[in-house]
Amino acid sequence: MLATLTQAAADSFQSPSIDWHAFAPELVLIATIVILVLVDAVKLERARPLMPAIAGIGLLVAIIPLATLAAEGGTRSLFEGSYVVDSMSLVLKALFIVSAYIVVLLSTNYVAEGDYWESEYYTLLIASVLGMTVMASSRDLVGIFVALELLSIPAYMLAAWRKGDPRSNEAGMKYYLMGVFASAILLYGFSLTYGVGGSTRLTEIGRSIQEWGTDGVPVVTLALLFTIIGFAFKVSAVPFHMWAPDTYEGAPTPVTAFLAVASKAAGFVALIQVVYYCFIVRPDIIEPVFWVLSVASMTVGNLIALRQTNVVRMLAYSGIAQAGFMLAPFAVVASDPSASLTALVTYLVIYAAMNLGAFACVIAISRKTRSAEMDSFGGLFTYMPGLTAALTLFLASLMGIPPLGGWFAKFGVFAVLVNADTGLGWSLAIIMAVNTVIAAYYYLRVARSMWFDDVPEGVDAVPVRTPAGITISIAVTMGLTVLFGVLPAAVTNLTDFSSVAFGG
Amino acid sequence: MASSPLSDFLRSYLTAAIFGSLGFILVGLLLFLSYLVRPNRHQAQKYLSYESGVDPVGSLWSQSQIRYYIFALLFVMFDVEAVFIFPWATRVEAYGVFGLVEMFVFIGVLLLGLVYAWRKGVLKWA
Repeated sequence: MLATLTQAAADSFQSPSIDWHAFAPELVLIATIVILVLVDAVKLERARPLMPAIAGIGLLVAIIPLATLAAEGGTRSLFEGSYVVDSMSLVLKALFIVSAYIVVLLSTNYVAEGDYWESEYYTLLIASVLGMTVMASSRDLVGIFVALELLSIPAYMLAAWRKGDPRSNEAGMKYYLMGVFASAILLYGFSLTYGVGGSTRLTEIGRSIQEWGTDGVPVVTLALLFTIIGFAFKVSAVPFHMWAPDTYEGAPTPVTAFLAVASKAAGFVALIQVVYYCFIVRPDIIEPVFWVLSVASMTVGNLIALRQTNVVRMLAYSGIAQAGFMLAPFAVVASDPSASLTALVTYLVIYAAMNLGAFACVIAISRKTRSAEMDSFGGLFTYMPGLTAALTLFLASLMGIPPLGGWFAKFGVFAVLVNADTGLGWSLAIIMAVNTVIAAYYYLRVARSMWFDDVPEGVDAVPVRTPAGITISIAVTMGLTVLFGVLPAAVTNLTDFSSVAFGG
Repeated sequence: MASSPLSDFLRSYLTAAIFGSLGFILVGLLLFLSYLVRPNRHQAQKYLSYESGVDPVGSLWSQSQIRYYIFALLFVMFDVEAVFIFPWATRVEAYGVFGLVEMFVFIGVLLLGLVYAWRKGVLKWA
C-alpha cells in the first residue's frame, strides 16, 4: 500500500519552481535561528553578549528583501495559491519584523541583567516572528494553523521566562492552557470549514460557501463561529480575554510588549485571512458576531481597566479595549471591504508604534521603581522628566488625542463605521465614542500620578540611566506615533488595499 | 427531501452513532448481568492498587527524572525524521538533485538540534 503510494508520488514528481525572492524574508529568519543555535552550541556561555546583536542584525537583514519585494510590487503566488506575497502581507511582515527588532532592543538589558537564559530567548523570539511572517502570507488552512502554532509555542515559553518567579510560571501556564484550548476550538472550526469547502485553500472554500447559499446550512455558521472564536483568544477579545491580564503581568515586560503588539497583530492577520478570503460571502453571520465581540471587548476592557492599580495590568486591559476597536471594522465588512481592511491595518500599525512605546517607557521607569504599581510612579516628573513626558505622549496617543497617531487610527475606524450607514455601524460608532471617553480616565490617572503626586516615602528621587537600546526604541516609536498623526499619508499610502482581490 | 452531500455526510455519522450506542448497551448489559450473578464480599486488600501482587509502598505522587523526558524528546525528533526519510529513500532517483539537497538540509537542521543538545550537556547521564 505504502509502496504504491510512494511510487505514485515519485512518478508524478517534478521539482517545484520556487520563487526564492518571495521567500527571502522567511529564509533570512530561518538562517538567523540556525546561526543563533550554532553560535550557542559552539561558544556556550561566552556567546551570551553576542546573542542580541545576532538577533537584531538578522531582523534588520530580513527587512531588505521586504523592501526589494515592495519596490517590485505585484502579487506573487506560490504553491498553487497557498502562499501569497502581496502588498498587504508585505506591510504586515514589516510590522512584525520591526516590532520584534524593538522588542530585541528592549530585551537586551532586561535579559542580561536578570541573568536569564539568553540564546534560547532570542532563538524563540525569532522563531515566533517567523511564524508571524508565514501567517501573513498563508492562504491555506494548514498553512495558517502551522503558522499559528509556530508563533504561539515559543511565546508560551517566553511568557514563563522568569523561572524563579511563580507569577511568571503562572503567566506561562495560563497562556499555554488557554492557547491550547483555543487551538482545539480552532481546529474543530477548521475541520468543519474543510468539510464545507472540500479544500484547504481559502479561495476555494470561499467559492464553495458561496455555492451553498445562505439558507439551511447551519454547518457554515458553526464553522465560522468556531474559527473566529479560536482567533478571538489570540487577539484577547472579550469573552476570551481571561488569560491576558495575568499573562501580561507575570511575563517579562519585553515579552509582554511582544505579546501585546506582535502576537495580537498576528491574530488579527489570521482573522483577516479567513474572513476576507473565505467567509466574506456570508456577511449576515460575520457582521453580528464581530459586533458582539467588538462591543464586549471595548466595554468590558475599559470598565475593568478603570480599577487597575498596576500599569502593566492597566495596559493589558487597555489592550483588550483596543482589540475591540480593531474588531469594529469587521462588523461593517460587507459595505466596503477594502476600506474596512485599510482601517484595520492602519490601526494595527499605529497601535504597534504607540503600545511598544508605552511598554518601553514602563520598562525604563521600572528599572528605577522596581515595580509597575501606579503608586510607585508618583512624582516621577520631578526626577525623570524625559520619561514622564514620553509615557504621557504614548498614553495620550492610546487615548486618541490629536495630533497623535492614535487619533488617526480611531478616526479611520469611525469613518468606516459611519460610511457603512448600517444600523450595526452607527450603533457601534456611538458605543465606541462613549468608550473612548471612559478610556481617557484611566490613561490620565497614570499621567496625573506621574506629574502631580508626591514622590512616595522611601524613594530617593535620583534618576537611573536608561540604556541606549531602550532610549532608541522610545525615540523611534515616539517619532512614528507623532508622524502617523501629523502625516497620516505615511501609513495610509502603505495600507491602501483597494487593489487587493478578496473572496471566492 | 432530495439527498444532498451534507445529509449523506451526516447519515454516516448516524451509522457511527448507532453502532457506538450498541457497543455501550452491550457492555453495560454484560456488566449488569455479572453484577446480578457474582458474589459480593468487601475486603480491604481489594481496594489497594495492583502492583503485580506486591503491596504498594510509598505515596502515589512520585517525581520522575526530567532526563527521561529529554531523551524521549530527542528520540521523537529522529523518529519523525525516519518517517520522512523512508519514503524518500525508496524512490530517491525520481526526486533527483532537488530531493537530495532538500533531504540533506532537513537532516542538517535536525542534526543541529542534536549538536545543541550535546553541547548543552543533555546527553550526559549524570
